[in-house]
Amino acid sequence: MKPFAPAEVIVERGSETSPIFHNLRRTLPQVPFRYVEAVSTPNRNGSLLNDGFGAAKRRLYLTKHKGEFFKKCPGSDGQICCNYFVINFASNCPMDCSYCYLQDYLADNSALKVFSNVGDLIDEADRTLKKHRGVFFRIGTGEITDSLALEPCTGMVGELIPYFAEQPNVLLELKTKSDCVDSLLHFDPKERVVVAWSMNPQSVIDRDEHGTASLGERLDAARRCQEAGYRLGFHFDPIIEYSCWEVDYQAMIEEIFASIDWRRLAWLSLGVLRTTPGLKRTMRERFPRTQLVTGEQVLCPDGKLRYFHPLRVEMYRKMVQWIRRMAPTVKIYLCMESREVWQQVFGFAPACEKELGNQMAPAVQQLAHDR
Amino acid sequence: MGENHLRDIMDWLEEIALRDRSRVCDVLGCKAIIDIKTDPRLGRADKLKRIKEQLRRSRFPRLAETEDAIRAKIQALMLHPEIRLSVPPGLEEGRLRVEFSATNHEELKRLIAKLTDAKENSIIPAIFDLLSGQMVTQKRS
Repeated sequence: MKPFAPAEVIVERGSETSPIFHNLRRTLPQVPFRYVEAVSTPNRNGSLLNDGFGAAKRRLYLTKHKGEFFKKCPGSDGQICCNYFVINFASNCPMDCSYCYLQDYLADNSALKVFSNVGDLIDEADRTLKKHRGVFFRIGTGEITDSLALEPCTGMVGELIPYFAEQPNVLLELKTKSDCVDSLLHFDPKERVVVAWSMNPQSVIDRDEHGTASLGERLDAARRCQEAGYRLGFHFDPIIEYSCWEVDYQAMIEEIFASIDWRRLAWLSLGVLRTTPGLKRTMRERFPRTQLVTGEQVLCPDGKLRYFHPLRVEMYRKMVQWIRRMAPTVKIYLCMESREVWQQVFGFAPACEKELGNQMAPAVQQLAHDR
Repeated sequence: MGENHLRDIMDWLEEIALRDRSRVCDVLGCKAIIDIKTDPRLGRADKLKRIKEQLRRSRFPRLAETEDAIRAKIQALMLHPEIRLSVPPGLEEGRLRVEFSATNHEELKRLIAKLTDAKENSIIPAIFDLLSGQMVTQKRS
């Protein structure tokens, strides 16, 4: 994977004392730094015509985050949710997947930003985790950015792991399509950190996951993380349906399980391609040749377009069957799917989001205990 | 034509052309569309309605095929006209909806008895198989 190097780093005054600033200065010596009193970031105006969203990915802002870092994952209306929490330490992503929902979600605020006040982030997480010691938190950092794509220059995750590894009631998930794991390998995650990859066959990566690591690079990075003591996760999301998808996905699943020890997997998730009418328009403008917009997707009650119900149930069933053949007891869940789909795929549906969240927490806690 | 209909039609035309690596004018020039456009028995509104339906079928071929198969099975059940089986648009949620109404107790008992007879018919599980994806196997070309 080609390492990310921005054309420019724009630093908001007050961020120069942050460890992230020092990491950026050290790792990007050839990149010009500009200092501003207040960050004024690009917005939607005219952005699509000039691909302002794409251009925004080439300039990195270092700024203080003024709001809360720690949030409940919004999930999707009426769908079964996995009771997940998110910490947003950055906004937008240097990679450029044609289906990325950030094209729509961040259209009005598309600047690639990293937040410098990592101390505030840890303080906020610490208050929440200590206040609710009886609650087991699964926290992700990959909701509005890739958790690791910026890591070689920012060192952000390196600042977080030592703290989260010591917490008894948390599991931090780092979700990525990159292979940027070098800086993680010298930490002891103490079963509190899961490194997870979003996986697709190489043909999908070539067509629609621009600037991401290849399948082989992702697998190699996953194997290295597993050897370093990290638990792994894989997200088959978005699953794309095309003429030979079954051959490609089955081969990918076999390749994954030939490379890693599935007994140390924290979980796998499945989710088919989801778009919205607005996102589809953006995809067609930014990626006119992508075939993703031509799938048999229909509007669901939550406002998202998905492959029509019987088709996606059949896709999930096949994926589960291929996975179960290789990893009979691994935890699999569906992302943003209805009770009906759960029922038809697995023969059961979690009663509520807490049930699904709890199903994943104890297995991980047991592993921590067994160490 | 309303804005929503127009947007659907424009989107479907572009997406069919993109999928089939053809041009919008080729999609509009296919035999099925020409047949509707030149059918003297149809008025303007009916032509638009049929063209839209034809484009939907072309844009969502397996969905249309599954809907047709379900509709055919429901007809094959030959239920009492007061009992109506239907599926949601786009087949979302995978549910079969059963509706009937009665004006008195005797009629209600009669309808329930007919529905009870129908539940033993092998067509009913076949409908649920279609709704849960067990027969959507044909890959797109």
